[in-house]
Amino acid sequence: MQSIEETKHRSPDWKRGFGERLFGILGRDGVIYSDDELLAYDSDALTGYRIKPLFVVLPRTSGEVSRVMKMCYDEDVPFVPRGAGTGLSGGALPTEEGIVISLARMNRIIEVDIPNERVVVEPGVTNLSVTNAVSSHGYYYAPDPSSQIVCTIGGNVAENSGGVHCLKYGVTTNHVLGLEVVLPDGEIIETGGKTPDHPGYDIMGLMVGSEGLLGIVTRVTLRIIKKPETVKTLFASFDKIEDAGASVSGITARGVIPAGMEIMDNLCIRSVEEAVHAGYPVEAGSILLVELDGPSAEVDAQMPVVEEVLRGNRALEIRIARDARERDLFWKGRKNAFPAMGRVSSDYYVQDGVIPRSKLAEVLGRIGELSREYGLRVGNVFHAGDGNLHPLVLYNSKIEGESEKALELAGKILGVCVDSGGSITGEHGVGNDKKRFLSLMFDDNDLETMNLMRCAFDSKGLSNPGKVFPTPRTCVEQGMKPYAEHALQKSGLGEMY
Amino acid sequence: MPESSIFNQLTGIVGGENASQDPQLLESSAVDGVIPKIILFPDSIEEISEIMKAASRAGASVVPRGSGTKRGIGNKPLGADIVLSTRRLNRLIEHESADLVATTECGITLTELQMHLRRKNQFLPVDPPHVQGGATVGGIIAANDSGPLRLRYGTSRELLIGMKVVRADGSIFKGGSKVVKNVAGYDMPKLFVGSLGTLGIIAEATFRLYPVPESSGTYFACFESLDEAHGAVRSLIDSALVINAIEHMNPGLAGSITERLGLGSDCKRYSLAVRIMNVSRAVEDQVKTVTDVSRRNGGKGLVIPRENEEAFWDEVREFPWRSPASPGAVLKTGVLISDVPRVFLLLDGLSDKYGVRARASARAANGVVIISIGGDKESVINSVKELREFSESAGGILVVREASPDIKPALDVWGGMGSSLGLMKRIKSAFDPGNILNPGRLF
Repeated sequence: MQSIEETKHRSPDWKRGFGERLFGILGRDGVIYSDDELLAYDSDALTGYRIKPLFVVLPRTSGEVSRVMKMCYDEDVPFVPRGAGTGLSGGALPTEEGIVISLARMNRIIEVDIPNERVVVEPGVTNLSVTNAVSSHGYYYAPDPSSQIVCTIGGNVAENSGGVHCLKYGVTTNHVLGLEVVLPDGEIIETGGKTPDHPGYDIMGLMVGSEGLLGIVTRVTLRIIKKPETVKTLFASFDKIEDAGASVSGITARGVIPAGMEIMDNLCIRSVEEAVHAGYPVEAGSILLVELDGPSAEVDAQMPVVEEVLRGNRALEIRIARDARERDLFWKGRKNAFPAMGRVSSDYYVQDGVIPRSKLAEVLGRIGELSREYGLRVGNVFHAGDGNLHPLVLYNSKIEGESEKALELAGKILGVCVDSGGSITGEHGVGNDKKRFLSLMFDDNDLETMNLMRCAFDSKGLSNPGKVFPTPRTCVEQGMKPYAEHALQKSGLGEMY
Repeated sequence: MPESSIFNQLTGIVGGENASQDPQLLESSAVDGVIPKIILFPDSIEEISEIMKAASRAGASVVPRGSGTKRGIGNKPLGADIVLSTRRLNRLIEHESADLVATTECGITLTELQMHLRRKNQFLPVDPPHVQGGATVGGIIAANDSGPLRLRYGTSRELLIGMKVVRADGSIFKGGSKVVKNVAGYDMPKLFVGSLGTLGIIAEATFRLYPVPESSGTYFACFESLDEAHGAVRSLIDSALVINAIEHMNPGLAGSITERLGLGSDCKRYSLAVRIMNVSRAVEDQVKTVTDVSRRNGGKGLVIPRENEEAFWDEVREFPWRSPASPGAVLKTGVLISDVPRVFLLLDGLSDKYGVRARASARAANGVVIISIGGDKESVINSVKELREFSESAGGILVVREASPDIKPALDVWGGMGSSLGLMKRIKSAFDPGNILNPGRLF
């Protein structure tokens, strides 16, 4: 096996030959090789890292994906899967001297099965188009990341994407029921399916959130759910963000699980209001958005409980959306929180950390201290219901050293999250950006165990190499022996019933 | 293995009073007739680690066990030298009620855990069978066991967010975290759900919890025909109702349950039980809607009186073990929701063809059917084969959960594991190169 170091020195002849063989599999229009066009693939939405790949391939079938991967496997060529490139952790960053396998052309909805509440799609299908395909039947696909108009299901599976309704409805892994996967050596396998409770190990569960390190997903079976009878959305404004935070714990403590709870601080409110005019009070210290859904009787019973908790936590104003239009407006503000920040600051870094809900006030206080210490503004917007924070660190890249300072501050915030009992990422993934922080959560043996699993999938480490793990790990001999038959099996004495 | 020295070593790890080689105890701990040589009751994850180090050095096979309620699942083990009981790891580690999260040692019984969580009016929403028999949290995860409530809350797979596991070589690792949303690193806990103790000893688990619903109501209806009952299921699935469980029972089971519980509804036909858990008003409203839907589809039924509700659902979960078919088998099949009626029809056909008696309950909106089938040996074996052929040809699965000793050797317990079997074997050999953990139980 060649190391990645060695593969860096491929000859032009080799490259030409390899390209010819890719043409053979995919046709000329299925391979991108000119420098200009390759530029479009040199990063994902985390544009700070850029690497130009050798080739980008655009397969149309799982068979083509398999043939390309087999070729890579035989020649020790690393490959990086890519959906829409909306990832925020550099997970789709190309590998030097490697290829990018784009799933953009595998964008067919294969089957819509309403009676069985299943949709089967290719990985390049966008998140929102799944809902669009079933909404006339009263169904929808629950995970709703902010980028849902463009992001793909394949990317959602790789990142285990969340959204704003995870507290009640879960994340991608709770809605994926089956996968077709091309393993790094080109073998095509199926795991799970339209039917429940397949025996054996949960390969599907491992694939979801594996950030492209275990293979490439080529078909996905999804669960769709019925739209709720009633949806009610309100927002409450507060002087202090701590009171908004306490309201969140207060609401769940009263036995109410809202469909969504979102908090924004004053900095975010101001920038959002200027950008989309959602009707938020710009002088408020923070606002909390709460959405209840379900049977009318349930929502009607829970609404007064929520209002009581909000008032008990010194809410200044409570506004309930009067109709769907106003509800959309409330949400439009929240969903535009990241881009709106562009009006306030020339540059900003979106952090993604998770904390236990109950530690909200404490953690926000700590982030405030760090912000003052670094002399950089931090906007706070987060999925408060599940403790998923998205602090926005504002900086000016034209001021020397400020980019580095911003990154350092963002890293410190992750430390605060982990110290509070949380996680370094709730939905954006580790990718390339956060691998050095993974060891804040996992010790060497934890990481070694993850690697053991990875090696069972990819003994050559060719699938999206260099991502997730803090230090490159190879597949050592120990534990990688072929499946050991038990002595009894070997002797033929064991009854395999 | 040089027996006396390893037994001394193992006994030294847990202390003499927590190791047993009592022949009677060993015999009663047999798995499919394989009698262990020693039973150990470690008290901590560190002791489990020491046991695994010693076992892997000696190449001794290890059967992890909670209360042993599900030891009939899986193939006959190829070795069962050591039974490692987790029953002394029965402490709740923390219950962060404000975060709706709890971390527990895995030898705790579900009953004990729920008792702790109830103090803060929360619960772990899983309702597998064998709870009264002492089913432990670790066993429920390892078997991915579940019950009717999975319709609303999913199985333990959806609720498990973190865990600590002792690997075959004794090393301890943790996966996941203690927050409900986390994508750092691989989702390792998933690997252990349903792994049946073949990859490691599950020592601690962190779950997301739910508030105990304010109220609960169950409507039970009897239908003249399978079509009518399934029609009602279809209407319920297609509604905006938030339903906790839809259980569709065949005539054999409906008759025995109504009789045992004296429900006053003498139902010997296809029946449906629908459970709603919510705030009181929403329960009342929705039970009313369920009643209407059922009536429109020809159902005659009643709201089960509050005092009988738990006993009713207990019966639904436990029926295969309350009055076991002997000789016979307990099966689980997973099919499409729309194929559930075909499973019932097939059972009728098998009863005509082979004279087998089948009681079956379907989680109708999940496509899971639990079947208890009894009859003479050949008839049961043939019936299981036909059921599996049907399930697999319809894209589903059929697993033999347990079977009488004379029948089990003739049955294929798991059926086909499909195209990912090779990968599963690679994972097994990576985690357990000596194949000492529950060898042969899965493959």
